[in-house]
Amino acid sequence: MTKLRLVLAAQLLFFTAWGGWLLASRYSDTPEFYLATSPLDPRDLISGTYVALTYDISRPEGGACASFTGFGPLFVKLEPLGATAKTEAGEVQIYEAADCAKTAPQAPGWAAATMQYNGRLTAVYGIEKFFLNENDPRKDALSGSVLAKVKVDKNRKLVLLDLVKKL
Amino acid sequence: MSYYKRLKRDLLDAAAAGIITPEQAGRAWDKAYSSRTFASFKAAHWIGAAAGLFIALGASLIIASNWDKIGAIAKMAAFLLAFAGVAEAAQRLDDKPAAAIPLETLWFFMPVLGIGLYAQIFQLSGDPVKPYLAWAVLSAPLAVLSRRPLAAYLVSLLLFIVLYWGTLSGGNMLSLTLLRGAVERLPQAWHCALALAVLGGGVWLYPGKKLGLPLGAAVAWTALLLFNRTALHLRSEGLVLLAVMSLAVLWLAWGDRDDGERPALPLLAWTAAVYTMTFFWHYRANEYYGGTPDTAAGAAVAWCAFAGALASVALKKQPLLPGGKTEDTLARALLAASVLCAFFLFGATEVHAKAMAVIANLILAAFGAGCILAGAKTSDEKLINRGIAVITLTAVTRFFDLFGGLLKSGLAFIVTGLAFAALAYFVNRGRKALIEAVKK
Repeated sequence: MTKLRLVLAAQLLFFTAWGGWLLASRYSDTPEFYLATSPLDPRDLISGTYVALTYDISRPEGGACASFTGFGPLFVKLEPLGATAKTEAGEVQIYEAADCAKTAPQAPGWAAATMQYNGRLTAVYGIEKFFLNENDPRKDALSGSVLAKVKVDKNRKLVLLDLVKKL
Repeated sequence: MSYYKRLKRDLLDAAAAGIITPEQAGRAWDKAYSSRTFASFKAAHWIGAAAGLFIALGASLIIASNWDKIGAIAKMAAFLLAFAGVAEAAQRLDDKPAAAIPLETLWFFMPVLGIGLYAQIFQLSGDPVKPYLAWAVLSAPLAVLSRRPLAAYLVSLLLFIVLYWGTLSGGNMLSLTLLRGAVERLPQAWHCALALAVLGGGVWLYPGKKLGLPLGAAVAWTALLLFNRTALHLRSEGLVLLAVMSLAVLWLAWGDRDDGERPALPLLAWTAAVYTMTFFWHYRANEYYGGTPDTAAGAAVAWCAFAGALASVALKKQPLLPGGKTEDTLARALLAASVLCAFFLFGATEVHAKAMAVIANLILAAFGAGCILAGAKTSDEKLINRGIAVITLTAVTRFFDLFGGLLKSGLAFIVTGLAFAALAYFVNRGRKALIEAVKK
């Protein structure tokens, strides 16, 4: 019985530590910015309704990105290249893929991705699902009508914060 | 009738006849039945497990509906409290199975509820297999330490489902499918290592002493990898058949049941595989396979399975036919022949394939006759019926398959009927001789 209590303690410790780490990533002191996205609305068995997101940065083309044709990890430089969009919070800049690198550069603004084959070669950032309430109208958002509000955490992982309607 | 049903009936009969007391019959039954994997599970316990399952599914859907007006920390705290409460209650009520079994089922599901909740709160996405593997890893200690086999069974089942789903589909950490692009590429080596670890975990955690079902699941998984566009893909028909027959023999050789009975499912699989070989009579050499090679890993697996099957046949007593040395020798010969038959399909012409089909028919006929004779010797009606079923199925298939015409098929049926009548006469005479020998 004591052993089973140790198992329970280990399970609770895992979820507490993981939750703490995720909270720290969400509230890390890094700038937030917006990405252009194309949503769909399927369902996940364990987490519910979500909007499946593909991004313009999922097929990075700027700088050295065109030379990355293989599978595996890479880093993508995200910066505003002039595109903007109107939201309730005012006009915001859209970040785009400006460059790619195999190893992590020291400069800020680089996000970790993995090149995968999903019908075509795609950069996956771990922000491809946005879970929402099944009655939330954003689940029916049309392609190009929403922006993803994100930030890069201290481990260079993109964190998805919100899905914002364009005006 | 299963072994346990037969044993219970025999013990009750013995008690009714006054050979043993009813108490002795009861104790003998409890002793024999307690060795069974789910012996302690009564009907009410299974209902309890179903209750836990439904509550877990309901909780999962409630979480999935997304309570987005509640803050992240409040939701996480509520989950951790519920987790601790369920697990603690399961332990405190351990001696009350009606409460402990649903609670333990719920405890098994708590990690995946947490993973789903956290993914929802923090908008996590990524490898689709990872949450389920994490669930299995988090629940494995419960499976090992719980005194009931339920959690072990559930974790083992989870691992096998993840293994099949992950390895045979693309875009995940277990995927063994060939990566498509300009040129097909093999998946990374660590995917294979992880898949083997999941397979090993599933087999190890499966409750009970015997390998039957987990080994069957592993054999079927290997066969699916060989058939599909995976790192083990085989394209040449000879190697595919060699692998399938070897895997069927391996499962039959090692897939013993908990109760010591002959393994029914592996036996059926082996018989079906040999039966399928009989249709190679109609084989036409396929010219389109010429230019595409087998994967090296798939060929290695096929040859290892072949070596393993032959070694098992040579070194292990085979469960194909019960009885003495003659039956064991016949069983070994039939199993070895069924595997070696596949070599006819290497660079096969239609003549080779026809030879293989004839041998497959002979194997089935010999197996059927062996079952009837062994059954007559051991007074095992089930075995005799199996032998008759195998011979009848083979004969009927061949009559329609080969002759087609009504006159020839009709004559063949009559000849087979006469052969069965002769066999029945000799079997009966053999039994009488055996009884007389025992009397003397």
